[in-house]
Amino acid sequence: MAVIVKLDDLLHDRRMTLTELAERVDITLANLSILKTGKARAIRFSTLEAICGALDCQPGELLEFAPDPAD
Amino acid sequence: MPRNQSAALPIAYIALRLLIVINWLGGAAIFALLMATIIAPEWTFTALGIPPADWIRSVIAGLQLVAALGIVAVPLNYMILKRMLAMVVTVRKGDPFVAANAYRLQAIAWLLLALQILSMIIGAIGKAISTVAHPVHFDAGFSVNGWLAVLMAFILARVFAEGTLMREDLEGTI
Repeated sequence: MAVIVKLDDLLHDRRMTLTELAERVDITLANLSILKTGKARAIRFSTLEAICGALDCQPGELLEFAPDPAD
Repeated sequence: MPRNQSAALPIAYIALRLLIVINWLGGAAIFALLMATIIAPEWTFTALGIPPADWIRSVIAGLQLVAALGIVAVPLNYMILKRMLAMVVTVRKGDPFVAANAYRLQAIAWLLLALQILSMIIGAIGKAISTVAHPVHFDAGFSVNGWLAVLMAFILARVFAEGTLMREDLEGTI
């Protein structure tokens, strides 16, 4: 997918685990895991807001656009 | 009414199972009658109240053709009922908005269309063989309600397919 979720990098920088983030943003670990592995089809603004609030980051730091070489 | 207290699904499930059996029994009865008119026409038509003196070849042939078309309707009915039953099962399992059900509805719409065409053919045969002396009337032919049902089934199939896609999107939304 052309949009990459950099949740892993942000968690690493903040020394936070996915489980801790799940508790803070009130989103299930399973759903956060789907997001982290890039398997999500869409992300709600409310989810973005909660994650950015918990990780003290901007949406742009969480998502990156990388066009597919084939396109 | 809460979902788990609704009696509609168990009733629909049982009714559909019964209809499947009745459909096959009806088909077997029509088949037996058709065979009897071919193998032992004199005995059969006399039993039906048509003595050999009153036989008109075209009428007899028309009635046999209608019976044959009636047999054709049996597997079509079965395919509709089987799909409806499968849809009821998915509702009972709590997961009806799946692509398989959209395909089932689409198939049901085509099968209903085929049954309507069959009904019109049977109605036309009835009119063709009916005379003043020997009136023949079948409960078949063009039906506005029937065609509306076909149209509705096609529209619902489309709505269901779109709904299924939307649901798939929603499932992947975090």
